Amino acid sequence: MTAPSALNNETRKSVAAIARADILVGIPSYNNEKTIGHVTEAIKLGLAKYYPDARAVIFNSDGGSEDQTRAVFERIAKTDSYDTFFISKPRHPLENISGRYIGIPGKGSAFKAIFEAAQLLGVKACAVLDSDLRSITPEWIQLLLAPVLAKDYGYVCPFYRRYKYDGTITNSIAYPFTRALYGRRVRQPIGGDFGFSGKLLDLYLAQDVWDTDVTRFGIDIWMTTTAIVNGFKICQSFMGAKIHDDKDPGADLGPMFIQVVGTIFNLMGTYESHWRKVSGSRPTAILGFQSETEPKPLKVDVSRMTAKFTEGMSTHLDSYRRILSAEVLAKLLEVAEMAGENMDFPKALWTNVVFDYAVFYQQAPDRQQVLQSLIPLYYGFISSFVHETENLDDYQAEEVIEELCQVYEDSKPYLLKRWGQKKS
Amino acid sequence: METRKKILSIDDEENIRLLLSCELEDEGYEVISLGDPQQAMEVIEKEHPDIVLLDIKMPQLSGMELLKMIRDKYYDLPVILLSAYSFYKRDVAAMASDYYVVKSADLTELKKLIKKIFKTRL
Repeated sequence: MTAPSALNNETRKSVAAIARADILVGIPSYNNEKTIGHVTEAIKLGLAKYYPDARAVIFNSDGGSEDQTRAVFERIAKTDSYDTFFISKPRHPLENISGRYIGIPGKGSAFKAIFEAAQLLGVKACAVLDSDLRSITPEWIQLLLAPVLAKDYGYVCPFYRRYKYDGTITNSIAYPFTRALYGRRVRQPIGGDFGFSGKLLDLYLAQDVWDTDVTRFGIDIWMTTTAIVNGFKICQSFMGAKIHDDKDPGADLGPMFIQVVGTIFNLMGTYESHWRKVSGSRPTAILGFQSETEPKPLKVDVSRMTAKFTEGMSTHLDSYRRILSAEVLAKLLEVAEMAGENMDFPKALWTNVVFDYAVFYQQAPDRQQVLQSLIPLYYGFISSFVHETENLDDYQAEEVIEELCQVYEDSKPYLLKRWGQKKS
Repeated sequence: METRKKILSIDDEENIRLLLSCELEDEGYEVISLGDPQQAMEVIEKEHPDIVLLDIKMPQLSGMELLKMIRDKYYDLPVILLSAYSFYKRDVAAMASDYYVVKSADLTELKKLIKKIFKTRL
């Protein structure tokens, strides 16, 4: 069944008026008036600097912002500021579109509108960039598009330097689990900023996922996994530090966690025949000039996370009895008993918890509740990670994440065993 | 008869090349030793090794640069970086290798990783 279009009539008309383009850069937004101007300026300058001869379009796919997001975008996109930045005007004037997408409110629906516009324009390459970025520079445009345009890559993931406690969903599940499942080391699989070919966006639009969590925060992991499994040539571009709106892992990351992890689990069902054959993992090329960058430190509230873990252990105990194997549950109860300031949640235990959840989820009638009950355990693991790495610098913390990845890979036989038990 | 797995070892120090080839040949691998990294791409093209062992610090061409060239052309070729310094592990470029091993006369870790790569090769 063909999903309804995410483009409204007005946007469709704007796209039709442009007719053809070589490159489209999309910015999903929702109430981002404070940051979208900077992102738009960087994209505009990057396109002019690195692709002066291309027919380029910049598209703000908005979720119905109540602030001045769209107005700021339009003003910056239209302003001729090239001279101020010592950049020559592009040969073709930059086209810009700002429109409200149609569909389930969320980042994925915004992306779908961007994909549709890019497909209608017949672009060779497309990039998407988050609207809350503070560290973006014009160079990011080249880093995301050049591998597609000049080196025939199908999918470009960002490679950032991030503060050790920024990206905790990535570090505890999205990266290690995707790596263990599909055998590719893509460090920021939900990085938010990607480049991809016209061929890959055709494949994205042909998938029947536009009524799932892919329309929300599940979009990033879905894009990355789809590219990996379908054999697109993938690389990572070194973008420097990622500075964006702060997200304390102890604050409410619940919806994002549920949508990302739910999408990973759904994809396991779709691509079972693929991941079951994979063992170990292979690196992915990293392109771009490497410079020393200092990510912005982020304050984390460990005591709040530990409290959420302890509270969750009593609230969701019945769920844990249903979902986890007896052995895993026994170890988890031991961890909970010792939980305190110096939380110690072993990596192998966390990995097996995730695996048990992944298996149970496949046939669970109440998937949202299942995922909801995983959140306190995630907080428990992150508290433990913070405790383990509090005296380490970002590089040393990265080695701890690498250890976790190895544990995920080495524990894959456990996942396969549990998965097999589910079927029998 | 199963063909022997081929390992290309690139290191500018002759003693290291000798150590690696003696020990790894004892493990049943065929080892091609190369002292000049500038010839590496040509040798890879001709010999089709199953694994490359790559020294990082070489005067003619740095191992990191060579790793980039290998990755660009042969995505699927496993590369193990060898260095006397653990510091290079922090280099983002090192993440494009399959593994990073700090050089030592004891090759146990290296042998284990080579076995792991052959066992888990996708």
